[in-house]
Amino acid sequence: MNSMNNIVENIKSELNPENIEIVKKNQIAIDLKNEEVHTALSYLKSQGWRQLTLLTCVDWIKENKFQLVYILMNWDNSVTVQVRTKIDRNNPKFKTIINIYPGAEMYERDVHEFFGVSFEGNPNHEKELFLELWDDIPPLRKDFDPLAYSKKKFDVREYKVDFIPKEGEAE
Amino acid sequence: MKRQVKLFLGPNHPGMHGNFSVHLYVDGDIVEKARPLPGMLHRGFEKLMERRLWMNNLALIPRICVPEPDINEMVYAMGVETLAKVDVPERAHWIRMIILELARIANHLMAMGGIGGPTGLYTGPNWAIADRDLILDIFEEITGARVYHMYIVPGGVRKDLPKGIEKKIENFLDYLEKRLPEYDDLILKNPMVQARTIDNIILTEEMCWELGVTGIGLRSSSGKPYDIRKVDPYARYEEVEFEVPTATYSDAYTRLTIKYKEIQQSIRIIRQVLDKMPKEGPVRARISRGSALRWRVPKGQVFSHIECARGEYGYYIVSDGSNMPYRIAVRGASYPQGLLGIEKYLPGTRIDDVAIWLDTMGVCAPEIDR
Repeated sequence: MNSMNNIVENIKSELNPENIEIVKKNQIAIDLKNEEVHTALSYLKSQGWRQLTLLTCVDWIKENKFQLVYILMNWDNSVTVQVRTKIDRNNPKFKTIINIYPGAEMYERDVHEFFGVSFEGNPNHEKELFLELWDDIPPLRKDFDPLAYSKKKFDVREYKVDFIPKEGEAE
Repeated sequence: MKRQVKLFLGPNHPGMHGNFSVHLYVDGDIVEKARPLPGMLHRGFEKLMERRLWMNNLALIPRICVPEPDINEMVYAMGVETLAKVDVPERAHWIRMIILELARIANHLMAMGGIGGPTGLYTGPNWAIADRDLILDIFEEITGARVYHMYIVPGGVRKDLPKGIEKKIENFLDYLEKRLPEYDDLILKNPMVQARTIDNIILTEEMCWELGVTGIGLRSSSGKPYDIRKVDPYARYEEVEFEVPTATYSDAYTRLTIKYKEIQQSIRIIRQVLDKMPKEGPVRARISRGSALRWRVPKGQVFSHIECARGEYGYYIVSDGSNMPYRIAVRGASYPQGLLGIEKYLPGTRIDDVAIWLDTMGVCAPEIDR
């Protein structure tokens, strides 16, 4: 736990985050301003967080924000860091991180497809990956209603029942 | 004269793992360009989970990864327990380890036998599936289901072990230990398999860090024991002794041998668990007063991860304090090598080695395309 406090102090002095919390044993979460994310990721990579475990997005529709979450793993001191930042939901744009973590390329395509966040600088981010010929708003946004979509998209099929068992007859 | 031909591998192909397709642009028999094409197995789990109660999700999550479903239950339970601050009873931790290690053996057996598919050694898969079935028998007795168990729940495990199952597990482990040298003779010492896999499909440490490859890929190329069971122990892995097999030169053959060695280590772990676990006690903590259907998980965002047979597997769980999850993101262990890895590093291999590439890199379609 002592080393965790050292790491927290170190990150506080280097990165000046808005908020920093210890989520559980071996896990820290940092909230940053948009423009500080790339500096923070480069710094953390140089400090041993060499692996981008996950890049994902959370839709906070009430605040009208998207939250991008970068999860980094340091295999040598076994500390996971969540780097989080909130971007505007009406104009969801962010700069890519593929020059820092090349493995982010597919995650960024993934987030673009499911949330509609575009990543400037990632050459392929607008190519479709999972959802071919998708024709509605990105599906993991909170205002997308799967039931309404399927009612709009697919016709209601009428089924004819031609066998109704009589009383006493086996079904 | 150069002539490029487009070739479709999958979604239905004996060398493919799940409904996943790769478009190969080949010249002669060398792949020049490869394009992964997931999407045929997309079931929208992440959206579905936002619309189910915390407890209802238990029926859904094992289906994300077909060959090793228990890891999903474990990461989900770990994440929810962290948010809700539930203390898991001691005996439940040890039971969870038995389940996870048996699942790891089952998955490694399938993967190791599965190399017989691309190399034409069909005895391998036949044996492996038959031996895996013995594990499924044990699962059936413990949990009531063969493949999707829904056994590890937030707060512990669903019910206690049945009487006399320890003896059966021990018998199975003895059997498997006797049987493993035969797998060694059949698969690993087979000159045909060796000719196809040794010095073929190299994975370097730089590639691992670039893509984010974990698990056997990272351990076999870096030579360091990067295993979450050691690095960030969960359940009671810090109380059992086991080794993490590593190597510094990672070709397809090394990755196969590491699977073989990990089965031996898993056997060792289960023996110690049966020996050290508390013989009785509660196995499930009460998570709420009253109905689990009204159960609310406190606000928070947590990433929980465990070591599955293919690498680091994790869930990012967000709760806004309501009775349903706000967002769950799945980190599939083979996501990096299955999408970006195929695009960048599959070109240059021969057509007949593509299936070996996919097999030994551990590409698992359902967890990429959840």
